[in-house]
Amino acid sequence: MYLYFEATAALYTLTVITVLLLVAGIICSVVLWSKGKAKSLHHQLNIGAVIKAFIVDVVLQLQILKVSFVRWLMHFCIFIGFMGLLAQTTVIAFMSHFLPADLAVSKSFFVSEASAVGGAGARVLDVWGDVFGLMLVVGLVIAIIRRYVVRAAQLETMLKDTMSITLLTVIALTGFLSEAFRLMDPQFASIAWYSFAGYTLTNILEAIGIGAMNYKLWVWIHALVSFFFLAYIPFSKAWHIFVSPIEIVLDASERA
Amino acid sequence: MENETKNVTEATENTEQTPEAAQAAPAAEGPAETAAPAEEKTTRIPIEKLSPRQLLELDACTRCGECSNWCPAYDQDQREPLNPRGRAALFKDIISRQHGVFNADSFLGKLLGKKPVTDEEMQEFAKDLYACSTCMQCHFVCPVLIDTVELWERIRECVVDAGYGPLETQKDLVLKTKNYDNPWGQPRSSRARWGKMAKKKKRIKDAPKDISKKPAEVLYFVGCTASYDNNVEEVGINSVNIFDHAGVDFGILGNKEKCCGSVLLRMGDRESFKRICTENIEQFNDLGIKTLVTSCAGCLKTIKEDYAKFGKLNFEVKHTLEYVVELIKSGRLKLTNDVNLKITYHDPCHLGRHAGVFDAPRELLSLIPGLEFVEMERNRENSRCCGAGGGLKSGYPDMQNQISQKRVAEALTTGATELVSACPFCYQGLQVGIQAMDAPINMRDITELVCMALGEGPADEAEKKE
Repeated sequence: MYLYFEATAALYTLTVITVLLLVAGIICSVVLWSKGKAKSLHHQLNIGAVIKAFIVDVVLQLQILKVSFVRWLMHFCIFIGFMGLLAQTTVIAFMSHFLPADLAVSKSFFVSEASAVGGAGARVLDVWGDVFGLMLVVGLVIAIIRRYVVRAAQLETMLKDTMSITLLTVIALTGFLSEAFRLMDPQFASIAWYSFAGYTLTNILEAIGIGAMNYKLWVWIHALVSFFFLAYIPFSKAWHIFVSPIEIVLDASERA
Repeated sequence: MENETKNVTEATENTEQTPEAAQAAPAAEGPAETAAPAEEKTTRIPIEKLSPRQLLELDACTRCGECSNWCPAYDQDQREPLNPRGRAALFKDIISRQHGVFNADSFLGKLLGKKPVTDEEMQEFAKDLYACSTCMQCHFVCPVLIDTVELWERIRECVVDAGYGPLETQKDLVLKTKNYDNPWGQPRSSRARWGKMAKKKKRIKDAPKDISKKPAEVLYFVGCTASYDNNVEEVGINSVNIFDHAGVDFGILGNKEKCCGSVLLRMGDRESFKRICTENIEQFNDLGIKTLVTSCAGCLKTIKEDYAKFGKLNFEVKHTLEYVVELIKSGRLKLTNDVNLKITYHDPCHLGRHAGVFDAPRELLSLIPGLEFVEMERNRENSRCCGAGGGLKSGYPDMQNQISQKRVAEALTTGATELVSACPFCYQGLQVGIQAMDAPINMRDITELVCMALGEGPADEAEKKE
């Protein structure tokens, strides 16, 4: 089962390699952490404090909002946008492999003989992808302006900062471009507006004279860059996306 | 060893040596350890001394740089290794090259061009590591809430273990604390001298009783700075007068009082701290007290927060001002005299950010009649550090002076004539700035204002100078 882009042996192979590299990178970090032998926590884990900190400081990031709305908007959009897209891809990948094809819900989500555009579930994924993709773009635009145009005094730009921003930007742009080119195909006309951001880009591209292109080529570029980024995460600045929440909730528990 | 210590006592007992003077001149002959043990340097960082969480914290830093907007040391010297972000990144780089999967000795590490950590790098790192007052501001502004101070102190421990810390000027404090149980290198036998002198000068009714001989409900832990520094002894004298006024059943340990060990912990000598902390816990617990009260923010933080990691205390720990607020509320203390002063309050880092005591001092100030209290722009969680803590004053006196001047300048903008704090160490630290600027503002401990409101009168300035 698939939606818009059929998985091939090459894609499977790359996925496995990416996951292995990602796991290896995570193990590298965990091995280093485990060399610390002192006590990590001085008090019992306070579950209430952990949950509260997770909602307030990890998801909503109110501690950043108290300092600056722009910085909060940037960070919140990148974090939630990235996590939303990662979740969408993961959900699609798992469902397309583990959900029996003859189930109604499968037909609702994926392309079938009856429908080349999927059912109501596919529309949810269309909106989902555009909402989080747009959030990621908004966050990245603010980040690029702050770091490279305004050059906020507190920022010190290293290669790893530029690498992460560049990779995420390429992922977001190729994602929307592949969608925009796909929506130029008349068979998607009836469902195009569910991909509101991608379809807007379709109209812009057509208005400036850029015609239909093979969207699958763009999906491949998008996939390759995404794979590289995923494998690179444990060694990159983006590693904090997964590590910082651990520290936030542990600190809250210790101080509770 | 006892004889040797006695010699030191006799040699210095009749001097009026201030802690500053003691710092400048090494302690008299015969300490238990006259010099630092022969150092065996190794560039290998013993990361096992850190916790997995602390190693994770190095990865948790988002490099947002918010800490660089607030760090008092970075404010003076804007080099990246001096701000918390840079320090964390540098340490991560060092330990990755030594202990990471791709370390400099591994095949992959060599392939990736990882280089072994050099002696010069370690020296530079240690030098910058100690340019920190452990004020904890970085924790409060960090969006990830990294437990920075605990991390820096643990890294200092690693650096000490590797033979690169503390700095030469700080080693003296550590050595003196280990040998004399106070960082000023003063004899143990003169620890309670301030009380006897105050009694002689009729500044207090009676010298506080020795709690080890006559049990009491409250132990007043005077602390090294208020015990030995003539300029700060007011803190002890005022506290005693307040307790007497309220009829508190209290006592002091006198010459049996030892340093709380804060200096050792902040400098990274955790093993020595453990010894002094364990001895103190045992001594305190044996007294059967209900409350330990101290006027020193550093002692409070150490006893209340750090001791709890090494043993159980069978009493509660309070700062004098918290205790005074309770005395007033219970009606045992009545502040009746007007204190017509315009003051501003400096939150000591160890009392505020470290121990979370922000409201009690403000409540106390609001209870003093006639007082006009103006907040500084940076207060409470964002109070600007005076630079005296964490070994910064001994390691980088010029930097501390500049940091202190910034705080004093901030106090002056309020129009206050009195700069009030609740820590003898901040008192010393801010005094440095006041003197350097010749600023028209008086440094006072909060207990002094309470005494004035009790009609005990302010400390006589002439006598103070004498």
